[in-house]
Amino acid sequence: MPFIDVNHLSKVYVRHNAPKNGGLSRLWKRETQRIPALTDATFSIERGELVGLIGPNGAGKSTTVKLLTGILTPTEGSCTVDGRSPWADRKAHVKHLGAVFGQRTQLWWDVPIRDSFLLLRDIYGLEQAKWQKRLDELVGALELETFLNAPLRQLSLGQRMRAELCGSLLHEPSLLFLDEPTIGLDAVSKLKLRAFLREENRTRGTTILLTTHDMEDMLALCSRVMVLGHGRLLYDGQLDALLHKYDTVHTLRVSYDGGADLAGVTAEVSRDGDTYILTYEPAKLPTSELLPQVLAAGRVREMTLKEQNVDELIARMYREMAL
Amino acid sequence: MRYVIHSVKMLMKSAMQYRSSLLMQVIAQFVMTGGEMMAVTVLLSRFRVVGHWGAAEIMFFFGVMQASFALTELFGRGIAAFQGFIGRGEFDSLLLRPKPLLLQVVCSQLDPRRLGSFLVGAAAILIAATRLEIVWTAGKLLLMAEVAVCSVLLLLGLFLIEATMCFFSVKSIEMVNVLTYGGRSTCQYPVDIFPAPIRLLFTYAAPVALCMHWPVSYVLGQPMVQMAAGWYYVTPLAGMVFFALMACVWYWGVRRYRSTGT
Repeated sequence: MPFIDVNHLSKVYVRHNAPKNGGLSRLWKRETQRIPALTDATFSIERGELVGLIGPNGAGKSTTVKLLTGILTPTEGSCTVDGRSPWADRKAHVKHLGAVFGQRTQLWWDVPIRDSFLLLRDIYGLEQAKWQKRLDELVGALELETFLNAPLRQLSLGQRMRAELCGSLLHEPSLLFLDEPTIGLDAVSKLKLRAFLREENRTRGTTILLTTHDMEDMLALCSRVMVLGHGRLLYDGQLDALLHKYDTVHTLRVSYDGGADLAGVTAEVSRDGDTYILTYEPAKLPTSELLPQVLAAGRVREMTLKEQNVDELIARMYREMAL
Repeated sequence: MRYVIHSVKMLMKSAMQYRSSLLMQVIAQFVMTGGEMMAVTVLLSRFRVVGHWGAAEIMFFFGVMQASFALTELFGRGIAAFQGFIGRGEFDSLLLRPKPLLLQVVCSQLDPRRLGSFLVGAAAILIAATRLEIVWTAGKLLLMAEVAVCSVLLLLGLFLIEATMCFFSVKSIEMVNVLTYGGRSTCQYPVDIFPAPIRLLFTYAAPVALCMHWPVSYVLGQPMVQMAAGWYYVTPLAGMVFFALMACVWYWGVRRYRSTGT
């Protein structure tokens, strides 16, 4: 049986609203609204995989994560993690689970983060020696020494994220959920964080499920990606294959020294100040054919080839799936 | 247990981060509750008796209610201010930790400001006891301790009703305040001075009388109801039962929360 086994999992939120026009009867009458958040999702994840979960806001990402972490119970379908039901067997399940939600802290605001880690030791019932060893390891890897005695509220965003990660990994979970872990981080912090996660996954075999809007996170960390949209699993497979399949329009930005004559360029041309923006479909017009045309048009000063970002890709995917 | 002690220690530490603000709030609470006590005292100096109770006895009842209510808010802040958990989404974090949920809610917040009210309540009990020249026996002290524990549990149970409502809608919470804060204002006076509906409500539905007034009246030597002395040690247990029932209701709310994801 796979580590995470999800079968026909669905979640419908039921909202009760007072009717819009009803005078006094608003007080006791209510309208029921059923909002499908996740519909018939089936997938499995093996131990040690690093999987990215992407999709626009409201696509069902956090519902999926909430179902897998056991915060929510599903409307239909089944799901097991390591043979356990996340919601029916909550305490046993969360003992082996770590979670970092970028927007929300799991640590305590006003006390030194070391104290938070101490309390986590008691919450997870860890042995002192084991806990100490693991803490030293994480403090080293995440470079927490300098602010271990500072309260959380005084930390920078990057420091806080590292502290959160440490807190979520102290009990050596077999499954780690990360929700937007690099949001708001500077470039150096992002790179370090990604390196740390790869290392954690490689050396300990921690299964990591990551939701993000940051394509760079995906490219750096995940070989497998699941795309959600309107509560449905639209794609589950290799990231490369997805990019290849939907990244059909490329953008080339070129600026020239002196004048340029783009009459011989067969791509669609628009201008942004000094810069020419060429859009083309590599399937119809191979880059190898376009480049000589571009070079022939004048003395190229600068040239950048841009792939579409994840939002454009998904928007495209929706259009093609007629959602 | 280690978790509970450690949590409380940490919450104390958090509170001490804002020492002067905390001190001010403790004083404010002290003055507020003290003012209420003054009002009661002034009122009683005009009337001397309420029902068959004298001024000192009334002050004793007042002290018991204030002290146990303050203790409840002090340690039960997590339950009393439960909307916050739902509103800020912190409840989800609690669901991710391998400890009993209700225990986590209680261990997540303290309200040390209430120390001020507690001091007033305790002072009222001491002053009244001195004026009444109560002879303290081991049995009476034990009963008072039991009253304290059971009253706190009962009040926590009342706050739990409010907390359970949070799983459904935020609007109806004010309604339940009638039982908690309204209960405090009403039941700081012995319940037998009130008309039957209120008396019955606070005896059998929300058993404040069973937890506080009956045993306290026994300690004061003027039992409200005629029954064997041993029973005064039994009735406060209603608070424990009430708490257990309300905890079940709350857990039922949790189940609903997890299925609807409010």
